Amino acid sequence: MSALRLISNRTSQQALSNSDYTWEYEYYEYGPVSFEGLKAHKYSIVIGFWVGLAVFVIFMFFVLTLLTKTGAPHQDNADPSEKRFRMNSFVADFGRPLESERVFSRQIAEESRSLFHFSINEVEHLDKAKQSQKGSGLESNIHFHEVPRSSGMFEEDLNCLTKFNIPNFVNTEQNSSLGEDDLLISEPPIILESKSIMQSSHRILD
Amino acid sequence: ENISDFSLNITDCTQVVVPEEVFFTVAAAGILENLLVLIAVVRNKNLHLPMYFFICSLAISDMLGSLYKTLENIFIILCKMGYLTRRGDFEKKLDDAMDSMFILSLLGSIFSLLAIAADRYITIFYALRYHNIMTLRRALVILAIIWTFCAGSSIAIALFSYEAATVIPFTILFPLMMFFILCLYVHMFLLARSHAKKIASLPTSTVHQRTNMKGAITLTIFLGVFLCCWAPFVLHILLAKFCPHNPYCACYMSIFHVNGTLIMCNAIIDPMIFAFRSPELRSTFKKMFCCAR
Repeated sequence: MSALRLISNRTSQQALSNSDYTWEYEYYEYGPVSFEGLKAHKYSIVIGFWVGLAVFVIFMFFVLTLLTKTGAPHQDNADPSEKRFRMNSFVADFGRPLESERVFSRQIAEESRSLFHFSINEVEHLDKAKQSQKGSGLESNIHFHEVPRSSGMFEEDLNCLTKFNIPNFVNTEQNSSLGEDDLLISEPPIILESKSIMQSSHRILD
Repeated sequence: ENISDFSLNITDCTQVVVPEEVFFTVAAAGILENLLVLIAVVRNKNLHLPMYFFICSLAISDMLGSLYKTLENIFIILCKMGYLTRRGDFEKKLDDAMDSMFILSLLGSIFSLLAIAADRYITIFYALRYHNIMTLRRALVILAIIWTFCAGSSIAIALFSYEAATVIPFTILFPLMMFFILCLYVHMFLLARSHAKKIASLPTSTVHQRTNMKGAITLTIFLGVFLCCWAPFVLHILLAKFCPHNPYCACYMSIFHVNGTLIMCNAIIDPMIFAFRSPELRSTFKKMFCCAR
């Protein structure tokens, strides 16, 4: 008896939800749908849709992977301290703390603003002196990361930014005469300019 | 009711029913999570930034979607228990209001994602002028415009929901926005790649390059989750408009409740891939829970 009631409850629930479905989408009332003479499987749209969606997402993933390949020649450097000397092609990481943030994290002030900050960081190791002597050891992370920081630390970060010609990229929109080669060749003077840009952005921040 | 019973043969595609417990659990989880994000952003002064306001807007639209599904289920239960009639005027108006809430949620999600992508784009391409371009006031104005537009369109779509003129723009808007967001992110990736190339070709650097897939994975997750959760429903609307009598379409429409559950899963996943990635927000959460204990 209870089993029968369960079944009848179930069908009534189904019928109710069906008729509720009918009520909410009135056009479904027009008539019964006949399921005779189907050539393909009845769930073919469902299967086709999900397969198509999966294929599209995988295709998008491969396209993006290809885009993230920098394509520069692979140079093997047999250096044991690979942490310092390795350069990642790029890490686009929205909001996750990266190794560079560990460098800056000591200077995080409580009341500082959080920045959603795209930075191409030349993260020199903590003992910067050693690195500059060695003349190598760039770890460059291109990442989105959000770091609460004091204005002093932003200055340091901005220093890194400007070294990598971010202002020129900003200006590239208007000044198309700056080709990519120009940016590389004119690197030293840009570092001199960077200080003035730093000051102006300080003013903007404060 | 007779008609729907008549169409229910054993070989037919019967409605795939999601158990109510699953429905309510998923909906409740979505609402709670997004509410937490909102509370965290409101309480922490550090998070009063344009970026977080856009994330909040996404959280609100996700909450609305879950809320809609919860209310609809409660509605159906009330109908089952007989407290509400199925053809009354009041119920029809309530149903229209709920439909417009749902469409508001979908439009709000799309435009919030667009706003987040545009904000990141400006952060990258106009890095030093970002604070001038995207001030707090401008962000609030943008959000106000977005939500007013979404509210207006959702009411219009709900009122005229069975006209082709509303269904078609609605279904075109969806892939168009996705494509636009994809283009923004791809452009950002290309810039990052050219920067990396430049750094690699600096004379002082000895480099060891490898492909880093994190960016591709992150972006695929963003867009993949949104597509997989919302596209089934959008297809349902299309099929319901244009081929309700076709058996194949009817079979697709029988999994409507599964599609609804997917939308609520989107509300659960979105905070994880947007809000919880920010360390500041995570630390705010920890503080909130540690203080509660």
